Amino acid sequence: MARVKFLCDTDRCIECNACATVCKNEHEVPWGMVRRRVVTINDGEPDEKSIAISCMHCTDAPCVAVCPVSTLYQTDLGIVLHDKDTCIGCGYCFYACPFGAPQYPRASLFGSRGVMDKCTFCAGGPEENGSEAEFRKYGRNRIAEGKLPICAEVCSTRALLAGDGDTIGEIYRERVIHRGYGAGAWGWKTAYYPENET
Amino acid sequence: MKTEVRVRGKDFTGYRIVGAIAALLLALVFAWQLFELFDDDNLTVPEVRWGAAGDDSGVAGVLADDLITARSRLQDERYRTGPAPDGEVPANALGNEIFLTDEPLPRDTTLTRSWAMLDEDTGQMLQERQRVVGRSSLPYANAELFERPFARDWRLGLADFATHLGAIAIIGFSLLLALILAIRGRVPILEGRAHRTVKRFNLFERATHWMTSFSFIMLAITGVSIAYGDTLIRPFGDELLGATGWISTWGHPIFAPPFALGIVFMAVMWTMRNLPSRLDLHWLSKGGGFFSDDGHNPPARKFNAGQKLIFWSAILGGITMVLSGLTLMFPYYWLDLEGMSWAMLIHAILGVLLIAIFIGHIYIGTVGMQGAFWAMWGGNVDRNWAKEHHELWLAEIEDGKQGKA
Repeated sequence: MARVKFLCDTDRCIECNACATVCKNEHEVPWGMVRRRVVTINDGEPDEKSIAISCMHCTDAPCVAVCPVSTLYQTDLGIVLHDKDTCIGCGYCFYACPFGAPQYPRASLFGSRGVMDKCTFCAGGPEENGSEAEFRKYGRNRIAEGKLPICAEVCSTRALLAGDGDTIGEIYRERVIHRGYGAGAWGWKTAYYPENET
Repeated sequence: MKTEVRVRGKDFTGYRIVGAIAALLLALVFAWQLFELFDDDNLTVPEVRWGAAGDDSGVAGVLADDLITARSRLQDERYRTGPAPDGEVPANALGNEIFLTDEPLPRDTTLTRSWAMLDEDTGQMLQERQRVVGRSSLPYANAELFERPFARDWRLGLADFATHLGAIAIIGFSLLLALILAIRGRVPILEGRAHRTVKRFNLFERATHWMTSFSFIMLAITGVSIAYGDTLIRPFGDELLGATGWISTWGHPIFAPPFALGIVFMAVMWTMRNLPSRLDLHWLSKGGGFFSDDGHNPPARKFNAGQKLIFWSAILGGITMVLSGLTLMFPYYWLDLEGMSWAMLIHAILGVLLIAIFIGHIYIGTVGMQGAFWAMWGGNVDRNWAKEHHELWLAEIEDGKQGKA
């Protein structure tokens, strides 16, 4: 069985923010929230790198473990999804997330937190796949259409890879051998291999 | 002071039977909780399975696998995958047709465990686990954060440590009290009631106490249904859990202001009388006379050392709960993400401990001690109760009265 992952090749990412933009457009993500963003580290230094980051759909996902209601759940592809109808906006998933993925609209509870929103790996939510209700709450369900997340498929430099972890890992390794260098898979240890100590 | 013993704790047979039944039930719950501590349900496992539309055979996960893997290969270098005509293009690469459905999956840790296994090829391409914060051109709170491994520790702190510690503390302490009631009985008024009363708390003190205690109980109930809803409420349905969650999320901040106000009033009214003194050491070394009916209760002023401990738990615990709670209600107002994470952990751990402590307070104020409840309810206590438990205070007010007369 495939296990989906995100991999950002920092030697290719040019911080064009197309992934962040296309994500907002594809899913009609509301104002004030962003499911994918690009982080630049060592900005202005010779070793400057940019990395696109969103929900990584972790193994043994900490957000699912701390959710006090039944909002967060994982599928057998490894995709972590959320149910906006049961979310209470408590913020636990936000504290438990190693990548700062959960977002809350400033809507309720004295203007602090509304119902959580995060990257769905373009896989919608608990509603019927491809339905209008699903699109309005979670955006397009590209996985059910047999496609991959739009952020990766739109990436002009193929820096951001999404899909079956073994397959994209293989693509990345071949690429590193071909060009002779590679900074490695950022965030994978925290996201996918939690029990392997550094 | 020698007291003639007319009533003993063991004489409260009815109370002791109820205590024994409660102890039995709590022992079962406690055993279940100990089992929960060591069972293997802390691992996040997939709950939903992808399948093929219109296929009921259950083996359709293969289709999801094929679709995703074939599509993933398309991201390889263009000369290998197309769009050149000689490239290998999967048939399902285009169109908006829905191929996959999802359905519930029984709980099984196999998938999660297999995902966590690291093969050598992958192991060599992993970056070190570290906190990474850069900058971002996107104008969102926290957009510059890439990775914070601390989040996984936070999850253990909340989902494992605070939750299990709280359950063990609350159930364990209740069990202990039920056993004490069953074996020792109530703490009696040894000489029996004098049927003469003395004034102990005025109306304002009592009103403050009941406002604070009612708010505290509501905060505890809403807090517990958020913290333990998954165990206590989810068996009755996800919908009910969601509804309870919403009510609790709103109820929790609604009862916070009266609680905070009560804490302030109590601090103003009672701090002077709750400052520690040498008498408290003596009182504590005798266990407050709690375990014996020999008529040698250690002397105390208006508040004995046990009451002082409860007072300071309420004041210090209450202030910490209110401050950490306010921090959580207003994200980023004065703390960043790490600060808020710690505020949440402190709020959770202190919350469950305070619930355990105040179960003790409620016990000793009601069934645990004969005559104690009326101090806070009507404001007057039986003179013999005052003589046995607060003899210095009784002497103080009676001397005061005589002085006035």
